[in-house]
Amino acid sequence: MNEQLAAALAAEEAAIYAYALIGVRLSKGEQTLARTAEADHRTRRDQLVSRLDQLKASPAPAPAGYDLPFPVTDRASALKLAIHIEDGVAQAWRATLAVTSAADRATALGALTGAAIQAVKWRRVAGVAPLTMAFPGRPQ
Amino acid sequence: MWNRRRVLGATVIGAVAVTAPGGCGLFDSDPEPIPEPDPIQPVLDEARALAAAYDRLAAAQPDLSGRITPLAEDHRAHAAALAILIGAAGPSAGAPVPSAPAPAALSGLRAAESAAMKTASASARTAPADRAALMGSIAACRATHVEALR
Repeated sequence: MNEQLAAALAAEEAAIYAYALIGVRLSKGEQTLARTAEADHRTRRDQLVSRLDQLKASPAPAPAGYDLPFPVTDRASALKLAIHIEDGVAQAWRATLAVTSAADRATALGALTGAAIQAVKWRRVAGVAPLTMAFPGRPQ
Repeated sequence: MWNRRRVLGATVIGAVAVTAPGGCGLFDSDPEPIPEPDPIQPVLDEARALAAAYDRLAAAQPDLSGRITPLAEDHRAHAAALAILIGAAGPSAGAPVPSAPAPAALSGLRAAESAAMKTASASARTAPADRAALMGSIAACRATHVEALR
């Protein structure tokens, strides 16, 4: 379980990093959405740090920077990265479901669901169709 | 007490008969016990009902088709995956889609998605490990449908 939770932590750290780059490319209203999403990822990150500490697992420290899948130069690429990031977070949490139970499973399900909903919000803002996917978090 | 002992005795005889190698033929004419429905059967029933409900609404209001047909496709993908998981020999394989009242509007479907999301979430929280990821994705997808219908 610790390995999968550490991967979820890495995905949350990457999301927090990405949202700093995304926000500055968006309109005011979109920035509010980005701030809310980033706050959710910070909450999940903090919960994971506490849980891994309880489990006596010490994940690798978050890197200072990340290689982006594509350059973020404008609103369109910022929205594309936001969708990409939420899909990545959903994938990381989905992978924890099979190795967790009880409260950890419920936390993982909430995080998977939250990322999937956030991805829908970004697809709507970006005008991407379809808004939904049948199996959020399943590796593409 | 007397009745309880009789019941227990009958159970023991039944257990011996079931475990006898090759079967002795004595109980061969007993009807097969009705198999317990798979715990995820309600999630499959909902997937079929929701797909059908979207289809009915799209037929009645073609201008909504582009928006809701992808949602129906999601439910059909869920139904296919769940049917494989439950197995073709499952008790309700090929069962007719449960009839549901035709929702008058998107708000009715949104309420149905919300209820179905709760069913799938409960299933995902308690599913065995080999089903957890699929049930989690289905629950999350239903939650995204609620969002998509805003």
